[in-house]
Amino acid sequence: MSSKYIALPKGVSEKSFDAAIKEYRAVLGEANVFTDSEHLASYSKIMIPDITENHTPSAAICPASVEEVQACVAICNKYKVPVWPISTGRNLGYGSAAPCSRGQVVMDLRRMNKIIEVDAELGTALVEPGVTFQQLYDYLQEHKIPLWLSCPAPSAIAGPLGNAVDRGVGYTPYGEHFMFSCGMEVVMPTGEVLKTGMGSLPNSNTAQVFKWGYGPYLDGIFTQSNYGIVTKMGFWLMPAPPAFKPYVIRYPEETDIVDIVETLRPLRMAMIIPNAVVIVHALWELGSFLKRSEHYPGTGTIPDSVVKDLVKKHKVGMWNVYCGLYGSPEQNEVNWNIIQNVVKASGKGELLTAEQVGDDPVFKYRADLMQGKMNTAEFGLYNWRGGGGSAWFAPVSQARGSETLKQMDMAKRILGKYGFDYVSEFIVGWRDMHHIVDLLYDRTDPAQLEAARACFDELLTEFSKAGYGTYRVNTAFMDKVADTYGPVKREINRKIKRALDPNGIIAPGKSGIWN
Amino acid sequence: MKPKASSRATITMMAAAVAVLSVWSHPASAQVAGQWKDPNHVYAKICSNCHDIGVGPVIKGRNLDPDYYFQVVRHGMRAMPAFRPTDVDDAMLHRLAETLSKSAPPGGPK
Repeated sequence: MSSKYIALPKGVSEKSFDAAIKEYRAVLGEANVFTDSEHLASYSKIMIPDITENHTPSAAICPASVEEVQACVAICNKYKVPVWPISTGRNLGYGSAAPCSRGQVVMDLRRMNKIIEVDAELGTALVEPGVTFQQLYDYLQEHKIPLWLSCPAPSAIAGPLGNAVDRGVGYTPYGEHFMFSCGMEVVMPTGEVLKTGMGSLPNSNTAQVFKWGYGPYLDGIFTQSNYGIVTKMGFWLMPAPPAFKPYVIRYPEETDIVDIVETLRPLRMAMIIPNAVVIVHALWELGSFLKRSEHYPGTGTIPDSVVKDLVKKHKVGMWNVYCGLYGSPEQNEVNWNIIQNVVKASGKGELLTAEQVGDDPVFKYRADLMQGKMNTAEFGLYNWRGGGGSAWFAPVSQARGSETLKQMDMAKRILGKYGFDYVSEFIVGWRDMHHIVDLLYDRTDPAQLEAARACFDELLTEFSKAGYGTYRVNTAFMDKVADTYGPVKREINRKIKRALDPNGIIAPGKSGIWN
Repeated sequence: MKPKASSRATITMMAAAVAVLSVWSHPASAQVAGQWKDPNHVYAKICSNCHDIGVGPVIKGRNLDPDYYFQVVRHGMRAMPAFRPTDVDDAMLHRLAETLSKSAPPGGPK
C-alpha cells in the first residue's frame, strides 16, 4: 500500500499519523519535523548486522527544550505514537540513531545542547542530551577550567549524557561513566518532570554532588531503559592532575593474557593503576591503521601466522596494555617504580613510556583517550575490513586470567567459523573486564551481512550458555540478550514499564522491554 | 512546575559567584545546527577529526560536485556516519559543500 510516509508506527493508521505530525509541527515548527526520505536517511544509516528496513523511522521530531519534549510526549500519548529518543545518535556499533524497530519516530534531542552549569571548584557539570564531548571540552579549554573529561573512543562527535545513559565507558580514572554521573532530569511518559537524587528538593544545591537523595535510588532505571526521556544529567569531572604519564606494556604471545591480568589486577584494585586500563589485541592495534586486504588476500579469518608476522613487522605487542599515572610528579614516580618492579618480576612484558615509543600515532590516540582529549582515530578500525559493517560484542568477564583466556578462545572459535577476525580489547574495571570485540564485516556484501548476523547470534548464544552476559548490545539483538538474563528480570522490567508508560510510547523494545 | 532552566542557572551563578559558570547561552562552544559560525567551523569540529588524519579520505581539493558532498553527509557512506539536519542544517551544509568543492588540497594547490 502506498503511503506518503516511508514507514508508519506499528498500529497507527496513516490518518492518525497525519494528525500527530500536524501537532508535532505546531509545537516544534515545520523545520524541526522530518518525514521525507532525504532527511530521514540520516536517521536510518546503521552499521549493525541487520537490514536497514528493520530500523527505518517514520519521522524525526527535534525538540529544543524540556517543555517541547513534554508537549511531544503528550501528542505521542494521544495518538499512541512510539518515540525513540536519541542524544547525539553516535552509538555506531550499537545501532546509531535508528530505532530498534521499524516505524518508530526518532526524538532527536541534539538541539538541546546547553551546558547548564560547570562548577570549577566542585568539579561538576550539568548538561543536556545534545552536548557533545567536543563542545564540553572546548568550553573547559576556553574558560581555562582545569577539569578533565572521560570519553569513549568516538569522543568528538558523541556526547556525555547519551553515553552514560547507555552505560558506556571511557579510559580515565572516571571511566565508568554512569558511576560518575550525579543527578538526572527526566521527562516521564506522563509528561511529568522528575529530578532524581537531591534534585527533587526545591532550592537544593546538592543535586550534582550527592547521588543517592532519599528513598530508592532511581537513576539506574533510566539507563539502558525506556522508562523516561533524560533531558539533563550531572557529571563529576576529574581535577586535572599536576602530571600525567601514559605508558604501554607490550606482550608477545596471545596466551600472555593470563599473566597480564594476574599481574595487573592487584595494581588496579589498589589504585596504583587508577584508570580504566585497556588490554588491546594486536588486530585492534594494527587494524586502527592498516587495511587487511593489503596484508592478507584471503576472505576468511586472518591466520594467526599472518598476525604474528604483522606484529613483528610493525613492532607492536600481541597484547598492548595502555595505562596512565595521574598525580604529582612525586606520586607518579613512586607508583612508576612499583609498576616497573611488578612487570620485571613477572618476567614478561616490555614497559615503554611516551619518550621511548616516540612518534607513534596509536600510542598518541591512546594517550589522548586516557586524558579525555578529543579524537576519532579509532574509526581507523573500520578501514581494516572496509564496507561499513560493525557490531560490538561486549561480554563481561571477571578480572581473572583464566577467564579472559577462556573468553578469548570462545570468541576466536566462533568468529573463525564465519570467517571474521578477533579484533578485541579488554577494558579493565575494578574487578571486572568489558571484553569488547568489534565484529567487522563488509556491509555492502549481503553474504557477509548475513554471516555477521549469524555469527553475532551464535556469540550471544554460546557466551550466555557459559554464563557470560553482555553489558550492552545493538538494537537488533536486544530481545535475545534480555532473554539471557532470565524470565523474572524480563517480567519485572515489563511491570515497571506498564506502570510508568501505560501507552508504551517511549522506545518500545529498548533493552527488550515491551509493554 | 519546574523552574525554567535559564533562571535556575542564573540563580546558581549568583549564589556561587565565580566558581559556577552559567554557560547555556555562551555561543563560543555551541556546535549544533543553527549555531555554527561558518563552514570552516563545521569542518574543524566534525569533518577534520577523520578526514585530516587519514581515517577518512582527503575531501579538500578534489573538485567534487557540491551535491556529492551534501548527499554523502546526509546518507553516510560505508563506515562514514550520516550527519543529521540537527547536526548541520541544509543551509549550512550547502555552504560547507560549496566551500569544500572549491577548496585547495591540504598543503595548498599542487
